[in-house]
Amino acid sequence: MTGVLEIRDLNKSFDGIVVARAIDLTLEAGRVVGLIGPNGAGKTSLFNLISGVVPPDSGTVTLSGAPLDRLKFHERIRCGLSRTWQHTRLFPSLSVLDNLLIGTHDYPGERLVEALFARSGLRSHDTSARDKAKDILGRMGLERVASGLVSDLPYGQQKLVGVARALMGDAKCLLLDEPMAGVEGQSYAAMQRVVREVADRGVAVCVVEHNVAFVRDLCDEGVFMFAGELMARGSVDELIADPRLTELYFGT
Amino acid sequence: MEYLYGIIIIVGLYVILATSFNLIIGYGGLVSIAHPVFFALGAYTSAVLARDLAVPILLAMLAGMLVAVVASIALALPSLRVSGDYLLIASIGFQLGLLEVIKNLRFTGGAGGYVNIPPFLIREFGRESYVLLVLVVMVAVVLLVRWIARSDYGRAMSAMRDDELAFASLGRDAMWMKITIFALGSGFAGLAGALYAHYFRFIVPEQFEILQSAAILTMVVVGGLRTTWGPIVGALLLQALPQALTFLQLPPSILGPIQGLLFTGLVLVFMFVRPQGLVPAGDIWRGAGSGQLAAKRDR
Repeated sequence: MTGVLEIRDLNKSFDGIVVARAIDLTLEAGRVVGLIGPNGAGKTSLFNLISGVVPPDSGTVTLSGAPLDRLKFHERIRCGLSRTWQHTRLFPSLSVLDNLLIGTHDYPGERLVEALFARSGLRSHDTSARDKAKDILGRMGLERVASGLVSDLPYGQQKLVGVARALMGDAKCLLLDEPMAGVEGQSYAAMQRVVREVADRGVAVCVVEHNVAFVRDLCDEGVFMFAGELMARGSVDELIADPRLTELYFGT
Repeated sequence: MEYLYGIIIIVGLYVILATSFNLIIGYGGLVSIAHPVFFALGAYTSAVLARDLAVPILLAMLAGMLVAVVASIALALPSLRVSGDYLLIASIGFQLGLLEVIKNLRFTGGAGGYVNIPPFLIREFGRESYVLLVLVVMVAVVLLVRWIARSDYGRAMSAMRDDELAFASLGRDAMWMKITIFALGSGFAGLAGALYAHYFRFIVPEQFEILQSAAILTMVVVGGLRTTWGPIVGALLLQALPQALTFLQLPPSILGPIQGLLFTGLVLVFMFVRPQGLVPAGDIWRGAGSGQLAAKRDR
């Protein structure tokens, strides 16, 4: 197994409160790692540190051997990192399909001259991006709502759209922040299936999730985080069975 | 006739100002009030270059636009780097400061204004030709902004305005986009300024002050943010209003403040009663090839 994302000795504290202490973590291609821990353990902060939303105090992050440390958030995404958000953060004034179309890496939209004058190039980009978006939506069972306003969807489907949007960039490493919170029924099964498919195509996946059943069914292994430190790594069942971790989790 | 031409040109220039301000504050979601100062920069640059340095007027006008673009980038670069809110504060400071500088410099004519600006086209081809020029530029700006708003760039602007962090999480550079929008909108204001200067041939710092900011903001908000027709309707209405007020024959000393109160009052009323403005934009981005239309095509 090759390490896609490598985190070495990552540290961060806010006014003395440690959110990451000497974190070493490797995410491998094709494997889904569940990041488990109680609220406030620093799981989302770790995602923010990896993606560059928040700068670390020290430590390094490399993606496929390339250091990300000097890059800004959006530049890291362009290197092949992708992430979702706990609270979806979709674009409410856009349709579901348009939400996805922004997510392709060769989207010409943010450079004005290119977007306006490279018409012929745009058309082919447009068609392939649309096909790709429809394919992803199809796999999530969302093809029928593609043209609807994203804010009209039930919350579970919005979470799916958030993941679908993150998949548009063909990332090498995918960070999912609580993808199952508020997701039920058909969306639950679709989410599980899609994340597994993504991993099977060779993407390194890390999931922050409180839904134990989901983590157990989906993840190849788990990492337990507490107070900014990675305490243990192993199979999800092992972690659940460890009385020391259970105590930390429930605070008994 | 000359009076009518003057009004048409003023309305045309305000349509350019309101439309370009709509690009910044409506489509771009960038809160700034300094639009009149870029109008001033265009006017003063073009006027000074053409009168004192004998630069050909067309070149001087383009230089006026360019100076507005450069100044807007210089303003946006540091303030947008921190957070969007700082742009508002920086824009207020920039407007007050720059106008103060213009009032105190000798080569800008000081507080008394800059006179004898060389006319453009009028002597050779008559006033009608200038009216035509302004209308052509106006239509071009309106169509360009509309085109941008409905292109892939427009979709990205919508996304960036909705959620900047999510926009960045897709590998998009929000900072670069905001600077482009701000520079382009300010450049159009500069062009409007240059067009103003070479027709009316007299500019004075106080016409670019905060009352002007309120007027342009009112045009966009009352007309309808993020629409093509909104700023046009707003500019027509808000230009007609002061003209109507002059019939009340109030002394000039209270006419100005009354206009200011009226503008502010209108913005407040519209914010509460009809936030979408006279021309509603709807709550979904409508691009030329938007998801909705494309989906209908596919069916």
